[in-house]
Amino acid sequence: MYFEAESDGLKYQVSVTESKTHWKVGMREDEKEWVYYDIRKEDYRLLDDTVSFIFKNSSYLVDVIAKGTEYTVYTRGVFKTFKVYNEEALLHESLKAGGGMGAGAELTSGMPGKIVKIFVKPGDEVNEGDPILIMEAMKMENEMRAASPVKVKDILVREGENVETGATLVTYQK
Amino acid sequence: MFKKVLIANRGEIAIRVTRTLRELGATSVAVYSDADRNGLHVMLADEAYHIGPAPSAQSYLNIEKILDVAKKSGAEAIHPGYGFLSESPVFAKAVKDAGLTFIGPTVENILSMGDKLASRELMKKAGVPTVPGSDGAIADADHAKKEADRIGFPVILKASAGGGGKGIRVVHDPKELASAFRACQSEGKNYFKDDRVFIERFVQNPKHIEVQVFGDTHGNVCHLYERECSMQRRHQKLIEESPSVSVPPEVREKLGAVAVRAAQAIKYVGAGTIEFIFDNKTKEFFFMEMNTRLQVEHPVTELVVGYDLVKEQVMVALGKPLSFKQQDVKQNGHAIELRICAEDPVNFTPNPGKIRKYRMPAGPFVRLDNCAYPGYDVPIYYDPMIAKLIVWGPTRQECIQRLQRALGEYMLTGIKSNIVLHKNILMHPAFLEGTYTTQFIDQQIAGKKHRELFMFVDEPVFLISAAIEAYNQSKSRDVGDYNLASQWKKYGRMKSMRN
Repeated sequence: MYFEAESDGLKYQVSVTESKTHWKVGMREDEKEWVYYDIRKEDYRLLDDTVSFIFKNSSYLVDVIAKGTEYTVYTRGVFKTFKVYNEEALLHESLKAGGGMGAGAELTSGMPGKIVKIFVKPGDEVNEGDPILIMEAMKMENEMRAASPVKVKDILVREGENVETGATLVTYQK
Repeated sequence: MFKKVLIANRGEIAIRVTRTLRELGATSVAVYSDADRNGLHVMLADEAYHIGPAPSAQSYLNIEKILDVAKKSGAEAIHPGYGFLSESPVFAKAVKDAGLTFIGPTVENILSMGDKLASRELMKKAGVPTVPGSDGAIADADHAKKEADRIGFPVILKASAGGGGKGIRVVHDPKELASAFRACQSEGKNYFKDDRVFIERFVQNPKHIEVQVFGDTHGNVCHLYERECSMQRRHQKLIEESPSVSVPPEVREKLGAVAVRAAQAIKYVGAGTIEFIFDNKTKEFFFMEMNTRLQVEHPVTELVVGYDLVKEQVMVALGKPLSFKQQDVKQNGHAIELRICAEDPVNFTPNPGKIRKYRMPAGPFVRLDNCAYPGYDVPIYYDPMIAKLIVWGPTRQECIQRLQRALGEYMLTGIKSNIVLHKNILMHPAFLEGTYTTQFIDQQIAGKKHRELFMFVDEPVFLISAAIEAYNQSKSRDVGDYNLASQWKKYGRMKSMRN
């Protein structure tokens, strides 16, 4: 299963695969190399109310609390919060133009998909909630709207075009 | 003995007082606001009365309502705890006027120590040292020199309206005094339109040292030695210990004697604390203020001298003499208290909310004065302190080791806490050596990033745990069990409703 995660301004790609006896967790910080950890299920087990996690022979009591896309890990008096996005969440994030992983002065796709319709042209001033374009992904048509009032600078895709994850679709002028 | 006592407080101190009352065979009456219906102090008391809405002004500070409940419940006495109404002369008098006993000092005691400036004057007259300084504004450079010679170097020059580093000069060398005075004066004039300058002794390596005192209605006053509370953030104490490693034996005797003299000067009754600012270079101490109540940090004294201070308060309120004489009071071993707060460990902003997992430390010589439990929602209305971890050891070193051990057992999830800050402090050389001052947090911790404090966890542990949990959440969606609907699903549904 593929995730993207973000914490303290650092972005990670994460892969999790489960076998009968092991968890295999891969992580890649920004553009660095992938690092893989083989975690025996015996070493990561849910006891009555907490996870007992033995990592490199260090014994941790871990509690993970999920609120929406926010996962906070508590252990040894320390805590760390990640924004974690699975494919479904990445899609939803991308719909939220201007928020989440695609934050900034542009609209990006959070998912591979196909541009169905474009409502704006360069120079248009749009209000918060105005539709920008429709993208088809996961067999659904999704209207992507402006998260705040913006002026459209450039449109980098055409109707009918297929786009990859992270592709810039529309840029804004603030 | 009182048959029934009302505790006009909440949280751990209400529980602390309830415990002693139970041991003495008195029925305890708790009060609670709307925000504290689920408070542990309510569950542990014999009786509980609702006193109003969440804001303190309408509940824990509502004198009329509290007296009303006291009457209704048939309580004979009221213990105010600390904070809230504990140092309110109006409350102490109202309790007395209602025919009840106030478990605390006299109204006159509270009044005479309530005003900072007046109490300093009062103490000066009683021969208690205060920070030496000029009584009025300094006229010119010659006057400054005369005053500085009298006070003793180093001195600090302060423009009357100075602040933010402007109009303040510390002078170590007498030769620099005249120019520093002129600089201060002109800064005061230019920045604050006020050229008055005052001069005061500059306290070097300042420490907060306080002395626990106890008086009774028979004129006895004893001290129970010092506590050091130099570890502070935002001028609030974080760690307290007794004894202080910085206080030499002869200074300790003097501290105790001066504190007793101060309490005697106002015929003090009950538990009180005289706070001093301590110069760790010259080992001089100067009176700051007196707290006319039981302190948050009273347990460190209890563990070192072996007396139950709340019990002593109750006995004094009953008119009994102190159960000990000065020569009986001995310091035995070392005790340290850590305040566990629901707050960010680095920037100290309160972080109230729901606690999920809660495992408390235990084991030999470990005491936890606590008001939290798994599922407890820390209210936003009150102090973020949820527990005090107090540990005793025969030596300071053993006490610190035990404290490190106990902190390692502490598990608190769901909200941020300062547990990790304590772990860092307990490893810091300045704390281990005992040389830390009241500036420690500002100089060593403030401005740090979380990850600099988080050396107790191998970094990948975080992301691996989050990833496996995210995987399990995603998978639970596929199972199709509606009740186990994944966070993703909830998230998605929420999003589509918003769009």
